[in-house]
Amino acid sequence: MKRSVFWALVRKDLYLMRGIIFMMIVVGLAAFSVTGLGNVGLAIGGLIFLTANIAGGIFMAMAMLIGERKEMARAFALSLPISGQSYDRAKLTAGYMAYLIPWVIITAVVLCGFLWPDSDAPRGMAVYAMILQGFALAMYSVLLAALFGVTTDGMGALIIIGSNIMFSLFMMKLNQPEIAGPLRTSQIVWTPFAQRMLAGEIIAIALSAAIALFVMSRRRDYI
Amino acid sequence: MIMNDVAHNAFALRGVSKAFRYFRLEGLNLELPMGQIMGLVGPNGAGKSTAIRLLMGLLAPEAGTVELLGRRIPEQVADAKREVAFVADDMRLYNHAKLGWHMRFVASLYPEWDEQYAQKLLQHFNLRADQYVKGLSRGEHVKALLLLALARRPKLLVLDEPTSGLDPVARHELLSELMQIVRDDSRSILFSSHNTQDVERICDQIAFIDRGHLVDARDKESFLERWRRISLEIPAGVTLPRLKDVVDLTLSERLATLTTDRYEPALHATLEQCGARVTDVQRMSLEEIFVATVMRSRAEVQS
Repeated sequence: MKRSVFWALVRKDLYLMRGIIFMMIVVGLAAFSVTGLGNVGLAIGGLIFLTANIAGGIFMAMAMLIGERKEMARAFALSLPISGQSYDRAKLTAGYMAYLIPWVIITAVVLCGFLWPDSDAPRGMAVYAMILQGFALAMYSVLLAALFGVTTDGMGALIIIGSNIMFSLFMMKLNQPEIAGPLRTSQIVWTPFAQRMLAGEIIAIALSAAIALFVMSRRRDYI
Repeated sequence: MIMNDVAHNAFALRGVSKAFRYFRLEGLNLELPMGQIMGLVGPNGAGKSTAIRLLMGLLAPEAGTVELLGRRIPEQVADAKREVAFVADDMRLYNHAKLGWHMRFVASLYPEWDEQYAQKLLQHFNLRADQYVKGLSRGEHVKALLLLALARRPKLLVLDEPTSGLDPVARHELLSELMQIVRDDSRSILFSSHNTQDVERICDQIAFIDRGHLVDARDKESFLERWRRISLEIPAGVTLPRLKDVVDLTLSERLATLTTDRYEPALHATLEQCGARVTDVQRMSLEEIFVATVMRSRAEVQS
């Protein structure tokens, strides 16, 4: 019973996030297909692709956590037969799943785009895409964990601004010629930077999820 | 583990305290026997919602124990909530989903969900399953929440200010529905409100709460029977002695109004022996009793 309530709550959030999930997939894939249309296509498509990934994640985390509190629907959810702690865990699970659905689809298509045998795109850019997608996932994970601990709109806004600044700095670094250059090859090259970035992204995801679970385990008041 | 008094009490709060920055609920003791309706009455900010949130496991007490349908709260809150429905004034449904989706969602969590009753309530409350929650008025929203709560057929219904913000017709419909539910002796209701008329209409147990303290709690009839306002004529030269159980005494030349919380017909004889003449004895409304109780409690705290 408890397990079924947990998953029912996860399904509930996925249902409520269906619009954002759908939009992220459609816009992300459309933008990626545009990147193949020359330099202008690459610039516009790349920008829209990043927006779909990053802004979609921000919208999703805000709608799931801050939106539920603002709409005052949290009290309704907490009236259901589940403990506050299990409810928070269901929310975190749903938060990751809602983002991972479009993320997995988009990442898979992008990687196929670079690695497909007939593809004109440089295969080495698959590593670039992995770093980029890994950063988007890590940033979402940190954002989700941070919003769990936040109770005011102001703090939520600060976290979002902070993550946007982080993303801008990351893009500046990633696009530096000495970093992006070695990845624009027909061979897959795991440069030291790529290895460090991917390791850092995995650590950030694990750490943020662990902190969110730790915060939840100490929470005693749920409203 | 279900505690022994499950058969007797819908809930029990014993010595429960909870402190916030500017408010403290102090040593709250409150019990509701099964099959009864309790009205939790208090001014805004008295601690009604805090008490209910403690009961529902949304807040953890700093001291004391909470039991809900025989289960310890917050440890066994998930089990207890299978048989409890909770609706609060500040509770909302999901704006971007339809009422029908909410009904299917709640039905999937409660094996006791009564679809026939849900459809009846849908019609009775003039709601439509294909309505988006976003488009519901305040009154419709409360009705939708009540539909979702009532169709679960809960053993205990906890309502935190459910009638606030409702128009008189919607309030009447809601209270009538609650009256129907309580015909079933096995079901209990905890109903918090600052509207004493609503409480007087449906409740059989009443608890007054003010500034984080339980001021008084007993059955409604006992409240209404014990409180009286007595009008007196006091001839010149007569001074009333200090009488026991007099909550308030207002003097105006030779007329006096006395309020007591332990009225007995023998009081007439006592007053007349003192030289006063009883001209009128009035029953008091629950609102008047509530105000007098709270004022006395505040005066006692200040002295």
